[in-house]
Amino acid sequence: MKAMTRMIGRRALNSIITLFLVIILNFALFRLMPGNPVNAIVPPDPRIPAEYKQHLIDEYGLNESIYVQFFTYIKDTLLFRFGDSFSDPGTSAMSIVLDNLRWTLVLAGTSSILMIGIGMAIGAASAWKRGSLFDTGSLAFTLFFYAMPTFWFSMMLVAIFATTLDWFPSSGALTSGTQFEWKWPSILDLINHLILPAASLTIGAIGEFAIIMRGSLIDVMTEDYITTARAKGLRERDVMRYHAMPNAMLPMVALIAMTLAFVVGGVFQTEVVFNYPGVGYLTIQATYDLNYPILQAAFFLIAVTMIVANFVADLLLVVMDPRISVV
Amino acid sequence: MMSEVRRRGISEPTIERLRLLRRRTMATWEVYRQNRMGMIGLVTLLGFVFVSIFAPQVMWVLAHIAGWPSTYGPFDEVATVGRGLPPTADHWLGTDFRGNDILARTIYGSRVSLLIGFVASLVSMGLGTVIGLFGGFWGGWRDEVLMRITDVFLVLPWLVLMIVFATLLPGGPSVMKVVFVIGITGWSGTARLVRAQVMSLKSRTFVERARSAGAGDYYIVRKHIFPNVFPLVFANSVLTVALSILSESTLSFIRLGPDPTRVVTWGNMLEDSMAGYAFLNELYLWFMVPGLCIVLVVLSFTLIGYALDEIFNPRLRRR
Repeated sequence: MKAMTRMIGRRALNSIITLFLVIILNFALFRLMPGNPVNAIVPPDPRIPAEYKQHLIDEYGLNESIYVQFFTYIKDTLLFRFGDSFSDPGTSAMSIVLDNLRWTLVLAGTSSILMIGIGMAIGAASAWKRGSLFDTGSLAFTLFFYAMPTFWFSMMLVAIFATTLDWFPSSGALTSGTQFEWKWPSILDLINHLILPAASLTIGAIGEFAIIMRGSLIDVMTEDYITTARAKGLRERDVMRYHAMPNAMLPMVALIAMTLAFVVGGVFQTEVVFNYPGVGYLTIQATYDLNYPILQAAFFLIAVTMIVANFVADLLLVVMDPRISVV
Repeated sequence: MMSEVRRRGISEPTIERLRLLRRRTMATWEVYRQNRMGMIGLVTLLGFVFVSIFAPQVMWVLAHIAGWPSTYGPFDEVATVGRGLPPTADHWLGTDFRGNDILARTIYGSRVSLLIGFVASLVSMGLGTVIGLFGGFWGGWRDEVLMRITDVFLVLPWLVLMIVFATLLPGGPSVMKVVFVIGITGWSGTARLVRAQVMSLKSRTFVERARSAGAGDYYIVRKHIFPNVFPLVFANSVLTVALSILSESTLSFIRLGPDPTRVVTWGNMLEDSMAGYAFLNELYLWFMVPGLCIVLVVLSFTLIGYALDEIFNPRLRRR
């Protein structure tokens, strides 16, 4: 128990250090831009008043020394203050990012549940029927989609199911001009817009989960307690359900956190192709408009999410498998 | 005796080592040849490498066989500028809104896509190997520092990191910058892998023996640890090339890659097709062909990587 607490403490400390390094990276990167940061970050647009530049210089404390700037920066970061979005002054960048986050959660959440569920089922089936046609087929499927850029797969889906067959809409999260409300027409509209982007994310990532599940289950099946269970005369199905599966799930927990990084990458690409108004779409628009506060806020938010997710996965692993804490 | 050996140009131990290397390579090749998937990957890849090296010649031959009015380069305005056009007998895949022949762009595009894939993974493998080697070998606080930095790059989504680096690093978009961005964001997995391997090697007797014979850190890492880590790194680097090519295409697709008017890659062809409304104008070949090229090249690298992994890490072979 004591070893476990110490383990968790160390993981927590590591997470905090990682977070701190991310903040430093965020600070350093945004000061790598050549010349006066304000001139670099404010586009040469006559519509932007000169007072705004002065306001930015004051706001970012750019006439202070680098140390003062750094500490101000840390303070602002921890308070989630990244300044106003350049494209709509008066609105804080963080609130815009959080606003878009809802759509990303809808898209990423739906596809994550689907890809984990389907992936594990396929993996378990392949492990059970190892060497069968199904096993070889699912491996080929996995490799093929692994090699495919997510954005290209999304484009193909648009070309087939939106442009040619006209089954689903090709862009947006809702029919343009409408707002979401908890009524059936609106919910159906949301689902209708969600199917293609979610399918492109899910199908591309199923294989990742299937392969790990398969490997993990095959490992477990060679353990002595499986032989014992069989020797007791248990039915093959019960051996799988009660003895093999629960143990094979362990590595999946760690994987789910790690694949989250992968899912985020996929979400970004899918959102761009489908003009889905999530964080990815917002961030990539921000790189075109050089909307740095948005970029910084999104980067920080994603980093924090990933660090927390990894920490939670570590905790779950330690709790579920006490052997790990000894190492 | 030394002088006698020196007179012949190459020292005796070097010749012996070369012989051993050749024998080992041949033995590996014999095993590799048995792997059908690996061979399919290798042949496909060699096909692409051939086309990319001889791109102008390939276009010349095609032009002569098909009787095109001239050989097209990737930036030649051979058709209407401003909108994409469907395939014709002279332009098998049609033309894009730059007035460029899409087939020519696809063929020339293989050059930069493959080049970026190779060079970027060389950068990331080099960085990852060095950090993993020393982190694992030193241990202690120096390892802690290196691993915490590795964690940052491991935890953050690769695409987000690449976007931030590509947007903020000074200098306009260029091939060099893309290589740098992919290299600097892609090394963390390798560093972890190498470090784990080094930690298990470090306590082996041959390392202790070398140390007791008075060998220094640098010498041990170079002569004893690195050669034992190399096969692992090699198999892994082939998979990294696949990832680098995917990364390049994604970066180019979101307009953070090299300038499409001067450098053509499969990624920026796909971006062109989005910007040129290839869907609406039903110019499907415009994005299907470059995309399919990416899939085939990445797939062949993956197949080769898995085949090498089976040879160098035989523990997995029975699976």
